[in-house]
Amino acid sequence: MTADPHPETTEPGASAAPLGVRLSAAHVAWDHRVLFDGLQVELAAGRWTCLLGPSGVGKSMLLRLILGLEGANSDSTGRVTCSDGAGLAGRAAFMAQDDLLYPWLTVLDNVTLGRRLRGEPAAGQTRDRALGLLADVGLSDQADAFPRTLSGGMRQRAALARTLLEDRPVVLMDEPFSALDAITRVRLQDLAAEMLEGRTVLLVTHDPLEALRLGDAIHVMSGRPAKLDDALAPQGDPPRRVTDAHILELQGELLSRLTEAAGLAEAAGLAEVVK
Amino acid sequence: MTRLKFTTLAQILSVAVLLAAAPTQAADKMTVLLDWFVNPDHAPLIVAKERGYFEDAGLDVELIAPADPNDPPKLVAAGKAELAVSYQPQLHMQVDAGLPLVRVGTLVATPLSSLVVLADGPIKSVADLKGRKIGYSVGGFEDALLSAMLEKAGLSLSDVTLINVNFSLSPSIISGQVDAVIGAFRNFELNQMDIIGKPGRAFYPEEEGVPAYDELILVARKDATDDPRLPRFLSALERGTLYLTNHPDEAWQLFIGAYKDLDDELNRRAWADTLRRFALRPAALDAARYTRFAEFLKAQGLIKTVRPISDYGVELGRGEL
Amino acid sequence: MNLLRPLIIAAGLIALWQAVVTVSGAPPYILPGPAAVAAAWIARPALFLGHGLITAAEILLGLGLGFVLGIMGALAMAYFRPARRWLLPVLVISQAVPVFALAPVLVLWLGYGMASKVAMATLIIFFPVTAAFHDGLTRTEPGWIDLARTMNGSRAAILRHVRIPAALPALGSGLRVATAVAPIGAVVGEWVGASGGLGYLMLHANARIQVDVMFAALLTLAVLAVTLYFTVDFAVRRTISWQPETLPAND
Repeated sequence: MTADPHPETTEPGASAAPLGVRLSAAHVAWDHRVLFDGLQVELAAGRWTCLLGPSGVGKSMLLRLILGLEGANSDSTGRVTCSDGAGLAGRAAFMAQDDLLYPWLTVLDNVTLGRRLRGEPAAGQTRDRALGLLADVGLSDQADAFPRTLSGGMRQRAALARTLLEDRPVVLMDEPFSALDAITRVRLQDLAAEMLEGRTVLLVTHDPLEALRLGDAIHVMSGRPAKLDDALAPQGDPPRRVTDAHILELQGELLSRLTEAAGLAEAAGLAEVVK
Repeated sequence: MTRLKFTTLAQILSVAVLLAAAPTQAADKMTVLLDWFVNPDHAPLIVAKERGYFEDAGLDVELIAPADPNDPPKLVAAGKAELAVSYQPQLHMQVDAGLPLVRVGTLVATPLSSLVVLADGPIKSVADLKGRKIGYSVGGFEDALLSAMLEKAGLSLSDVTLINVNFSLSPSIISGQVDAVIGAFRNFELNQMDIIGKPGRAFYPEEEGVPAYDELILVARKDATDDPRLPRFLSALERGTLYLTNHPDEAWQLFIGAYKDLDDELNRRAWADTLRRFALRPAALDAARYTRFAEFLKAQGLIKTVRPISDYGVELGRGEL
Repeated sequence: MNLLRPLIIAAGLIALWQAVVTVSGAPPYILPGPAAVAAAWIARPALFLGHGLITAAEILLGLGLGFVLGIMGALAMAYFRPARRWLLPVLVISQAVPVFALAPVLVLWLGYGMASKVAMATLIIFFPVTAAFHDGLTRTEPGWIDLARTMNGSRAAILRHVRIPAALPALGSGLRVATAVAPIGAVVGEWVGASGGLGYLMLHANARIQVDVMFAALLTLAVLAVTLYFTVDFAVRRTISWQPETLPAND
């Protein structure tokens, strides 16, 4: 089942121009420990911002705070504003480490999940768009398959298609490729960079190379309460080549920042916090 | 002189040893399975036990209440207990089904089962039951009683609706869910209804076309009738019955002394009503009466053959006291 | 469906039964052998089928009602905190009280007809369904809920499209347990006061010392229960075909 990929599926299209996002006065306390307080994060419009840091520092909490998802047992406050003055509600899409495909739905039904949840009729046009996206991510043959028959990489690709069908200007991703093998990871990084072009993306990752390949602004989060350092801004457009000398140079810089962050974490006696 | 002292000492010592040895001769154990939880119907047994008559007969009797009333005869037939309190009608059916049981004694020598209606209800005679609902407990034999009683009144089972109410005989008639109940014990359910304030009127089967029978009997395993404990048991039981007959009030005190939770109005009334119904001669067997009842059961289709009484009833010889 | 396996199991059980009878020397009025019971059945098949139909009807109605009430109870407890606080202890008590204590009360309210038997069966059936379904509803994979919320799904939409489908395997589990205990509820109801059904037949036959008939009725009940269970199991597995079964034995 093939359909011509519709051009508007890879660009914000009829929806808003690239949206900048600012999170300010962010406060998250988890289990009576303050993870961060008075934190501020800027997501540049239409660009990829990457967030790295040691486990337990609060990266995922930050992402969830922006999305408006409370964590269990956490006390989080913060103000999220967009560059056009309005809030972020309904304008952000989410991808997690787990593909979150519902096992009882086919791939196609999973991709069109948003429509179903909002009670909008899954009209023919939506279906065509979904099939087009599936073709773009290379899953046109799997439209009627169930998630359990797909490999990890294929499932994340389906998740990507689902994210794209939502057609939202901001996309927040929490380690979406970390569960995949190296080759698949690189392929999906390329695919994501291509398909999410023009959207504002926040990518939480613990892979410095991934951050360097995809990020326009890379922050390392460290300490408790956590703080963000100044952004590292690689040159060139993502996805960048790993063999690029500039990238290799920045990798050293990034690694030293991460090592410092890890040291701070040990000093602060951070226990393994489930994000 | 020393020799005399020594002999005397030896004699004293040997007597002392013999005296010491005598109590170690244990009484014979016997297990009696009751038909239901302890109640005034078992008075002769309780009195015999509490007055020490079993002990006098060298018996250590244990009375056990069953979980399922249908079990005791089967357990005795299987050799798990020496005696069971059972019902004469059931004995006929059990023997017909091949259980190796024999009646060795009688506890209650009249029927207790009755047809009970509300005293202030519309039913004044058995004939009034036409088109009515009658509750019964699954005893396997109530419909035969009822059928005979209805027949005498010119009705048949098809003229009434039978509803199985199991153990809730009194509640079902008091609440009006049925118009009459069959299988209610005249010494129990009638008193129960009276105490609650809804007195009943009873029609007695033996007055309405059913041959008289023993409500409660003692049964033993067929091949164990020569057990020497049985005649001793029955003698002790007779002593208990006699005491009960001569000293009913003292006997009641003995009863509630042993079973404090039975000291209530219902049991007190049931005790009084049952006193005159106990078999004064527990071991005696009226063969013709049993055969007459067997013929009644055969006519009702409850048993296939009328056996000679010697197959399932015996009068045991007296034991030494 | 492989018929050979059930036949072998049945043959094995019958052989075991005969062995127990022979070795223990149990008399026929306590434990009849398979031959006697089979003879009792063959002599009057209409009797057992007729009463079997009555009990089957009670079980099926009880299952249906228990299933619906179980689902409603689970939804109520999952969505209304007061329901969980006040309803749950009551439900647990309803299960702890032995049924023979409740049965006469039910009979008093509902009479001696089928209503009280269905009520008994429902009482025993609904709790496994409630407990399992409630568990399933409240233990939905958090990531799935997160995703649905970022997609602006309403509470009702999340219930309908996420929680309920995700809870179906748990519901299936609860339904299986309920199906296994359903016959007990129906039979106990019949023991309290009935004029038909396999429980009633067993009671009646026992009182009349027709032990072979009692066991034949018991056997009919057993076959009924097993057939019902495997039918429900099959239906559940078909409905939840999207969940793969991974047998630990294959690890």
